[in-house]
Amino acid sequence: MAERNFEFELTRLFGEAPAMPDSEVFTYEVGERLRRGWGWRRLVIGGMGLVGGVIAGLQLLGGGVLERLDMVSTQGGRVVTGAILDAAAYNIAALPMTSDVIWLAAALAAAAIVFAITRVVREF
Amino acid sequence: MADSSTRESAAAHDLELAALAASGGRSAFGELIRRHNSAVRALLRRMGADGATADDVAQDAFLAAFEQITDFRGEGTFQAWVKRIAARLYVKRWRRDARGQALAEADERTLPPVAAGPDDRIDLDEALRRLSQAERLCISLCYGAGLSHAEAAEALNAPLGTVKSHVKRGLDKLRTRLAPELPAGDAEEHG
Repeated sequence: MAERNFEFELTRLFGEAPAMPDSEVFTYEVGERLRRGWGWRRLVIGGMGLVGGVIAGLQLLGGGVLERLDMVSTQGGRVVTGAILDAAAYNIAALPMTSDVIWLAAALAAAAIVFAITRVVREF
Repeated sequence: MADSSTRESAAAHDLELAALAASGGRSAFGELIRRHNSAVRALLRRMGADGATADDVAQDAFLAAFEQITDFRGEGTFQAWVKRIAARLYVKRWRRDARGQALAEADERTLPPVAAGPDDRIDLDEALRRLSQAERLCISLCYGAGLSHAEAAEALNAPLGTVKSHVKRGLDKLRTRLAPELPAGDAEEHG
């Protein structure tokens, strides 16, 4: 029992630490090391992302993906324009809708969705 | 804005601050460092580290704690958790600096135990200085960092029996200094 009491007392004494006078300086130094570490990490991740992006871009250009995309886009544009002209024939819309306007609207909608997702992620 | 954030951090519980830190809140983690750095640094000094080494290891321990903050689930206190990290880091450094020196062969030089007089203030730091390095490490790991004998043996890469005998001898010496009125007895299993 006395032994156990002594062990409790020893644990309590270990728990009593004197306040260090340079506690604030220590806190600042660790904060700086954290900040520097994260700065380097961001730089490395950013650099790797850039390299990956360049490689992906070159692959896309080299693979003729853009030409195929352009072809698909043209065909899609024709279909959409045809549909709009059909609709216009029924006087549903009298707006100057071309395939360019449709694609622009689609791009803006995509940007709006990305913005909304980013905002939601930041909020939660 | 920064001031109000600092005030909120100062009022928050360690668990809340740890949760904020886990989501990348460096200012919340800064408050945790502010609260607990003295205790962690004091433990390392009590383990035998000089001031500069203790501060160096404590910094590494807090950085490691930030990296592993999602592992802290609040089962114990944040301070105890960081102390365990710091103690293990110090032992690792001690073993590296000792170039593989076994715990049993560690410096056994020790100052003679001095019984405390009735007017003496109980001074753990002074009492620890009178232990051998091995005893000091084992006692600090078990009673300062809260490791069990088995965990201390694993950290020190030493046999469990060796750690237990260092703890027992260390306890006997400490009792002479800190609590001379208590009868000496066998050390019970810790943790």
